[in-house]
Amino acid sequence: MSISDFLKSQKYLTGHYLSLAIGLGLSAGFLLILQAWLLANIINAVIFEKAALDDVYVWLLSMLGVFSLRAILSWAAEIIAFKAAAEIKRNLRQTLHQHILSLGPIATDGERSGELINTLIDGVEALEGYYARYLPTMSLVVLIPLSILIFVFPIDWISGLVLLVTAPLIPFFMILIGKGTERLNKKQWREMARMSAHFLDMIQGLSTLKIFNASQREIETIRRISTEYRQSTMSVLRVAFLSSLVLEFLASVSIAIVAVLVGFRLLYGEIDFFYGFFALLLAPEFYLPLRNMGTHYHARLEAIGAAEKMLDILAKPIPAHALANNDKSLIATNKPINIQFDQVSYAYDNRGIALQPLKLSIPAGSRTALVGKSGAGKTTIIRLLAGFISPTSGEIKINDHNLNQLKLEDWRKHIAWVPQNPYLFHGSIRENIALGMPEASEEKIRTAAKLAHIDQYIQNLPEAYNTLIGERGQGLSGGQIQRIALARAFLKDAPIILLDEATANLDAESEQLIQQSLDQLGQNKTLIMIAHRLKTVEKADQILVMDKGQVTQTGTHKELLEEPGLYSDISHDIYQSSL
Amino acid sequence: MTILANVSLLALAGWFITMMAIAGAAGTTEVNYFTPAAAIRGFAITRTAGRYAERLVTHEATFRLLASLRVWFYQHLEPLAPAVLQHYHSGDLLSRIRADIDHLENFYLRILAPIIVAIIACVFFALFLHQYNDILLLVEMSLLFIAGVLVPILINRQAKHSGERLITCKSDLRVTTSDSVQGMGELLIYGAADTQAGKISQLTEDLLQDQEKQASLYGISQAAMLFCANLAMWSMLLLSIPLLKEQQISAANIPMLALFALASFEAIAPLPLALQLLPETLKSAKRIFEIVDKKPLIKEPKTASPKPENFDIEFKQVSFHYDEKQGNVLSSLNFKLPQGNKLAIIGESGAGKTSVMHLLLRLWPITSGEITLGGHSLEHFHSDDSRQYFSVVSQQTLLFNSTIKRNLLLANNNANDDEIEQACRTAQIHDFIISQPQGYDTWIGEAGLKLSGGQSRRIATARALLKNTPILILDEPGEGLDTITEKKMLNAIFDDNPDISILMITHRKIGLERMDKIICLEKLD
Repeated sequence: MSISDFLKSQKYLTGHYLSLAIGLGLSAGFLLILQAWLLANIINAVIFEKAALDDVYVWLLSMLGVFSLRAILSWAAEIIAFKAAAEIKRNLRQTLHQHILSLGPIATDGERSGELINTLIDGVEALEGYYARYLPTMSLVVLIPLSILIFVFPIDWISGLVLLVTAPLIPFFMILIGKGTERLNKKQWREMARMSAHFLDMIQGLSTLKIFNASQREIETIRRISTEYRQSTMSVLRVAFLSSLVLEFLASVSIAIVAVLVGFRLLYGEIDFFYGFFALLLAPEFYLPLRNMGTHYHARLEAIGAAEKMLDILAKPIPAHALANNDKSLIATNKPINIQFDQVSYAYDNRGIALQPLKLSIPAGSRTALVGKSGAGKTTIIRLLAGFISPTSGEIKINDHNLNQLKLEDWRKHIAWVPQNPYLFHGSIRENIALGMPEASEEKIRTAAKLAHIDQYIQNLPEAYNTLIGERGQGLSGGQIQRIALARAFLKDAPIILLDEATANLDAESEQLIQQSLDQLGQNKTLIMIAHRLKTVEKADQILVMDKGQVTQTGTHKELLEEPGLYSDISHDIYQSSL
Repeated sequence: MTILANVSLLALAGWFITMMAIAGAAGTTEVNYFTPAAAIRGFAITRTAGRYAERLVTHEATFRLLASLRVWFYQHLEPLAPAVLQHYHSGDLLSRIRADIDHLENFYLRILAPIIVAIIACVFFALFLHQYNDILLLVEMSLLFIAGVLVPILINRQAKHSGERLITCKSDLRVTTSDSVQGMGELLIYGAADTQAGKISQLTEDLLQDQEKQASLYGISQAAMLFCANLAMWSMLLLSIPLLKEQQISAANIPMLALFALASFEAIAPLPLALQLLPETLKSAKRIFEIVDKKPLIKEPKTASPKPENFDIEFKQVSFHYDEKQGNVLSSLNFKLPQGNKLAIIGESGAGKTSVMHLLLRLWPITSGEITLGGHSLEHFHSDDSRQYFSVVSQQTLLFNSTIKRNLLLANNNANDDEIEQACRTAQIHDFIISQPQGYDTWIGEAGLKLSGGQSRRIATARALLKNTPILILDEPGEGLDTITEKKMLNAIFDDNPDISILMITHRKIGLERMDKIICLEKLD
């Protein structure tokens, strides 16, 4: 689908507002013709019929009526046009947001988040001009000149002819000029998104730039990016300005021709003053919608630039497993959940195979530990279970149902997940722990925080649980962030807990406390964790040793220690590593 | 030079505006059919061409100005990181450096310029009407004033609130959206995606409500403009018809005056918008200055930095807190790290290990006590100067969305390929990098190759090594690494750099055996 088709396809969202806006514009057009007729009459009467003020009173008064009506119509048109665009903005932002969430964190991984944010905010806003101005103008640009011609032709066909002949020249030149600008506009929008992305990167990395004393270089980069942005913006504007120059020029020349022809014929007495004057009054109004088109054509270009990225996002198909929509919940609550990996493999689009076909059984209530070097495929297993990705081949079975066929939202109710770098949201600590459970009681939140051994720290903060935390938990240490994320997982009290190096930032003592908490949580929880340290691994019911996307060894701690292989090699070091 | 160029560009723009106004004033006599119509149209064409040139020049000048404003904003932003900026969301800062600075574009193009044009044009209109009749002059000027100044100011007062809310609302929307995008995993797993979508749609509704209010107000002032313009034309008729009877003006002047009155409103047409944008623009400016006026917590000395003869570091009775209310993180800490020694700081999380690094790098100011570098108090150095002696691998160092090589060069722009490779070998990441199809030119970060925690940590380590400084700070260097790799990496670092001072912050055993001294910090209550 081309971008302009996409924009048009969204038109239905505006409902009746768009037609209403056009209707109002057209009515205003007729009032304008009426006003010109009144004015021509008054002037004609005063100059040629020596009429006094009393004689033209009626006309003057009706003119006042026309003025008021026009003012009201113009105000109404403004609001209606805004409402049309508002519908679009409301719907599109929601759709985009929904789509991005349905794609999940891995599919949108290739996008710079600054660009995505820019599209959702400024991109959507940039469509306003297209729906509120460009589309209504495009209809009026035909309707209003046509109505004027209908009035002008019968009374002065020569002027009518001049208008008729010159009018198509304007769109013709517009298209000629507009040809190259679409490309320019897309480029400008890309520059802008790039600038946004760069600035976000820069702001988040300010500390790093500072530590490396790299500010001078960064200043150069900002200057360069701003300059590129200016150049691409100016290249768009130059064309926009040029097209309005051409428009004004053509309109001016055409009106001049009408005026000169009328003037000469008046001089030779070939037409009545009234008709000539009426035609002359209407001539500028004839070109006005065409000139407006020039202004609003820019709105179209801007919308096209902004919509490119939207189309990109929406064109990414939502993976089938995210669409599975079983109304009937296939996983009964309180029933143990057994997980089976049946020859599951996974390959990322851009990075080749991350997981070789894997057969694995995770019984309800068991503890599974994944160990191995970074990049061995441990996180891939966690992501598969979280439903962020679905197997390239093979099946993950949840109590004998293919995970792909379960409604993801339903499945995720049964899991808690703590990633390597947990994200803390803009808001209070309370809101962060009670993510997705806004109704959770104070008591439950505190219990979860106690289990994560963070309650005391939070209580000591001046605002305790209401303390606002900065983005990504700025102001908190890595360990504190992880404990808050753990508290979040504990609060959810899900039967399956996925821990992706969830304790990596904790010291050995804290980690052991967390381990105790996990024990406390109950034996019936299924625990799947990636760990580096032995203490966390020792108690596991099964340990998977992974290397290059393959499980090389499986067994309990004891079994594996006796087996020669990677595990006994690293276990020696692991023992040493804990403090 | 740039400033000079900007000033002359702006001056040139001013001249264009003036010319345009003169042509505009003349052009408004347009449809007087007794004067040769073509000549009048000539004015209009001149004016159009002038407008074209004027727009080009003013836009060019404005965008140049905005570019320097961005640099200027950055220069004020950088000293504030991270101590002052921790209270701001990066989405919020992003909207300041991008959207708010863009809003300033309005100030010249849509506020100042139209006002100047309108004033100049009105002077010409007044002179013109004065030739005919002063009552006409009075009526015309009053209506121009009502439509161009009075109504917009009234509307402005109404719009002030929603205009300011609009910006805050947009900024909130940006923050929430950035939460959505960056915390997507958590939202999905914890079933908060719908709530988040609800939040976004609520913010969109709020935004739309404010925008609708603005649109409606703008609509009113537009309608008022239209009405006043028509009323002006109407008044000309009403007043000049009796004048014709009294032979004060000629018949031909009646249509001319009427149409002149109508057209003259074109000169003040942009005024309502200008006055409407004013509060929005001021708010943006305020948001920018809010950051720019912030004082960095670190006070830079006025005198030149001392040149240390050695790189001994000493902490003397150092106490430190991030926030007075939260109490001390470090209390009367004393230790020495003589040049070339290796020191480890261990302790439970929250014991202030990382704070030691923050103080050395002068990211936060020391609360009491003194830190010396080569015998000179650290506070006597400009922070840029003292930082050049340190390289750091920490939880806060970030890899940028760029190529691996450019990330590495951040530490040392002059490093050659051999040096880069050597640093990466030491950090145990060279093999991984060359296994990528594009090797060192591989893009990393959001739009490129996703690195695991351990991979980024090793690249960050290579970057720190490349800086080649007398003091190296390693903050949890093994985080995200398996034990074997961690051990290899630390051994290589120690073997390759026997002469430099190393300060290692850790909670693991690995590497401790090679330390000259180990300090254990305890959490303060």
